[in-house]
Amino acid sequence: MTIVAILPAVLYLFGNRRMPIIYAGFVIQAGYLLFRGVQLGRLPVVGPHDTLYFLSAATVLFALPMTLRMKDRFNNLYPMLGLSSVFAIISFFFSPHDSPLPPVLKTFWFEAHVTLSFFSYALFGIAAVFGITFLLNRDAAGPGVSDDNPEVLQYKAVLVGYCFFSAAMIFGGIWAYLAWGTYWLWTPKELWTVILWLFYSLYLHARLRQWWSGKPSAILGILGFVIVLFTYLGVSLLMKSSHTF
Amino acid sequence: MGAFRKALNLLLSLRTAIWLLLALLCVLFYGAFVMPVNEEFKSLQVVPLFQWLKESPLSVSWWIWTAIGILSVLTANTLFCSIESVTKKRGAKNLLLALSPQVIHIGFLFVLLAHLLSSLGSFRGTAYVAEGTLLTLPDGSAVAFEAINTQNDPSGLVLGWSADIRYRTEGARIERDSIRPNSPSFHNGFGIYIKTVEFRPFPVALIEVSRDPGAAWALIGGILFIAGMTTLLALKVRKEN
Repeated sequence: MTIVAILPAVLYLFGNRRMPIIYAGFVIQAGYLLFRGVQLGRLPVVGPHDTLYFLSAATVLFALPMTLRMKDRFNNLYPMLGLSSVFAIISFFFSPHDSPLPPVLKTFWFEAHVTLSFFSYALFGIAAVFGITFLLNRDAAGPGVSDDNPEVLQYKAVLVGYCFFSAAMIFGGIWAYLAWGTYWLWTPKELWTVILWLFYSLYLHARLRQWWSGKPSAILGILGFVIVLFTYLGVSLLMKSSHTF
Repeated sequence: MGAFRKALNLLLSLRTAIWLLLALLCVLFYGAFVMPVNEEFKSLQVVPLFQWLKESPLSVSWWIWTAIGILSVLTANTLFCSIESVTKKRGAKNLLLALSPQVIHIGFLFVLLAHLLSSLGSFRGTAYVAEGTLLTLPDGSAVAFEAINTQNDPSGLVLGWSADIRYRTEGARIERDSIRPNSPSFHNGFGIYIKTVEFRPFPVALIEVSRDPGAAWALIGGILFIAGMTTLLALKVRKEN
């Protein structure tokens, strides 16, 4: 099963940039997640193995439609597939969480909270890639508002990701209130989550001002993903909190 | 008059919001690294924030005070900007598109209000209780733990647990309920939560009694925030199409 699950990364990286091969890779990823879901009898979104693999699949899920209208699609899509492959490969350094869940995790609010969080992380990752491709090809970028301009697409990815992330925080708050009696806990994970949310709030507000649009906001979008990675992996692996792996 | 105008312009400025957010981020970055390594922050989980702030030395709590200060100015900035925006865009062609960011702002302000109320008046207490225990709640009423149960799979693995409870006021039995993980019981503003159970030497349950006066406001704020965000997104997509 490991070989089947790792196959999409091989297809993404060495598929000679052919769309049918990329779609085949995504179908295999979705199939692996479905297999895990059926095997566990729940959404496979607990522990670093399943969440990294879910993040990998979510990155491709959003990258395919977001780059659809771009003339230079592959220059943007290929790094996103690379990012997805990295997540898929790292997921196999962690053993899958196959044991039954503690009762407190068996709730719709938890599953909705985690699923929306990883959808937003995927979109923030895509936004970071758009930021990098914008900075690398600034002269070649299309006009300011076109769907061919990676900076505009970065903004769109952040906006949708921010919506998902806000919903994830609200669902997490409802779950925490029902599970622990409070919607807010003073733990490093919660604090980093607020930092991440405020950072993207800053991005969305800053981009409204002319001085920040273009290169500065592209850089902000890239920095945001560094905070995403620390909030997700750094805090969960290094700091003791309610979200420790 | 000139100074008042200047202050008003400052509060109405998007630039102010951006710099306040940047300052807030810097303070929280500091706190996020300091909090996990400082033992004094552990008690923040069990006492309301403002009580903790009163009891903690300024050398430890200064960054939370600073964050509160920045959030206060940000609140004023959000309010002033929203009022100005609504006033300016009253006759806008697409009123919903013009108003949805302000609905998001109102949602954010409700969440801040929720945190303020929780920081002032929240309560948390935990205790191990056995079957038959009568626990007195802070409002004077009592809750009796009549049975502690587990749900096991055929191999004996514990899959879940619950407790049957009965509220009493001045000795009279008034209300019966059952508590499970993620399914607390609420009584007079207090939530009764079952955290875990142990069966040796006899059945006991770890119970938490909590009151979070900001919870309802946080929920209202969250709903407004998501309603505003969804409307804004849908209208932007429609406008583009």
